[in-house]
Amino acid sequence: MHTFPVKKIIEHGPGVKSFYFEQSFEAQPGQFVNLWIPGVDEKPFSVSAIKDGLIEISVKQYGSFTQKLMQARAGDLLGLRGPFGNGFTLRENALLIGGGIGIAPLRLLAAELHQNNKRFVSLFGAATKYELIFKADFKEISNCYFYTDDGSFGRKGLVTEDLLNIIRDEKIEFIYAAGPEIMFVKLKEIIDPLDIPYEFCMERYMKCGIGICGQCVLDGSGVRLCVEGPVLNQDDLKGVTELGMVHRDASGRRIK
Amino acid sequence: MKTSFLNLKMNNPLVLASGILGLTASSMKRVVENGCGAVTTKSFNLEARKGHPNPSIVPFDHGLLNAVGLSNPGAEEAVKEISRFKEISDVPIFASVFGRTIEEYGKVAEIALKAKPHLIEVNVSCPNVRSEFGTPFGDVPEDTAEITRLVKQVAGDIPVSIKLGPHGPGIARMAKVCEENGADAITAINTAGPGMLIDINVQKPVLSNKTGGVSGPAILPIAVKSVYEVYKNVSIPIIGTGGVTYWQDAVQMILAGATLISLGTAVYYEGIEVFNKINGGLRDYMNQFGYTSIADFRGGAH
Repeated sequence: MHTFPVKKIIEHGPGVKSFYFEQSFEAQPGQFVNLWIPGVDEKPFSVSAIKDGLIEISVKQYGSFTQKLMQARAGDLLGLRGPFGNGFTLRENALLIGGGIGIAPLRLLAAELHQNNKRFVSLFGAATKYELIFKADFKEISNCYFYTDDGSFGRKGLVTEDLLNIIRDEKIEFIYAAGPEIMFVKLKEIIDPLDIPYEFCMERYMKCGIGICGQCVLDGSGVRLCVEGPVLNQDDLKGVTELGMVHRDASGRRIK
Repeated sequence: MKTSFLNLKMNNPLVLASGILGLTASSMKRVVENGCGAVTTKSFNLEARKGHPNPSIVPFDHGLLNAVGLSNPGAEEAVKEISRFKEISDVPIFASVFGRTIEEYGKVAEIALKAKPHLIEVNVSCPNVRSEFGTPFGDVPEDTAEITRLVKQVAGDIPVSIKLGPHGPGIARMAKVCEENGADAITAINTAGPGMLIDINVQKPVLSNKTGGVSGPAILPIAVKSVYEVYKNVSIPIIGTGGVTYWQDAVQMILAGATLISLGTAVYYEGIEVFNKINGGLRDYMNQFGYTSIADFRGGAH
């Protein structure tokens, strides 16, 4: 375990913040780190940027852990270990689809794609305007489509609404997605018949992060999400029988 | 590499240790595809347990320190996974059970037996629930004797192995107690310690439970010595476990007297392919010495 003081915190909106730490390791887009709040708990988060010697982790308040994290101040010591897992591969003419805080890992991906001169298009959806974080950054380097549930920014609706047209008009050859699992289920229904290859960045309750505890193993395939994931492609997902259905809690019990 | 263990015929002597990738049928099947000869479920008891908050498993230079805290989905869920596993795999599956009380061991074993596992492994030696359960039953000869009798009584023809730790009043003596009370095998050893790691910046223990069991290369010598002593003191077979990472470690375990060898932390060091790697090394070693079966050199260090 290595602990680092929080260098800087940016608040994007109520319960959505970015935390910056001194860069102590390299990470590929899609890889994750375990963030430890001493005395509280440790949870996995994806890296949203590595820039100017800083690692950025972007978090939306969701449960008791992230609620505690929201109270952290610059200078507080937090544990950071990783990076863990396999990240995204870099492709040409890709569509980046992000739902909610799923935008976070796609931001590091977008930076890498841009740096490697690979064209991509961004398609993001969130509940409301302030949850669509990093809009300006994405706009600067890609053509963007935005959706919000309440219509407070971009079009009102879901990212899947106009997906087929966007794929056609933008001549999309590869799809990356990160967000809630129900979004993956919908996306699969739409893009599987098109034969466009894709990579999804997934989440599960995790304990060890190093492929031994079995907590994040996906039913049907035996894929260890913390090692072989968290980014899975269309082939990895073929055998998975639990997509959008059940997750396991800390006890290992299946819950809805 | 074919190995006979009690009434079981196995393709090789390697077993997936309890607590590693043993939560679901899919997970254990994946390990089988990587060459293990039998699997052990994660330890379970009657009711679901969340275990300790994270960090619950942390690596250090010579192994892992863990205090998962016996998280499990409860016996009814666990037996479903055993049944599922038996549908999709032919290799033996060992059910690892524990109880918060002596009586609970019997009840959990009874539920486990519904799925007809090939062996019941009785975990009396988890070092990470001391604050909740008190002294591990495996440290008290009378408790271990009673649990062994109780589980064997309900298990009938299904073999029972008692998993002992390296602590308490002496593992050889405890193994004898188990044998005298009807155990069919001994699993040695559970994680060692407990140990502690402190973050020097936060200046607090890293594990949420503060202390945890030590596994991995650091404990190999303790495990080899424990198996050696148990082998001397009992005639029932031994599942040797603790720190085995490379084939040379497995050979040491066999020379000390183990019939089977369980691997856990090795998956962290050598990947899920570790089973095939160790089997390959064992095969070469046997060819080099002209052995035709593992029994040819079992206990050879005595």
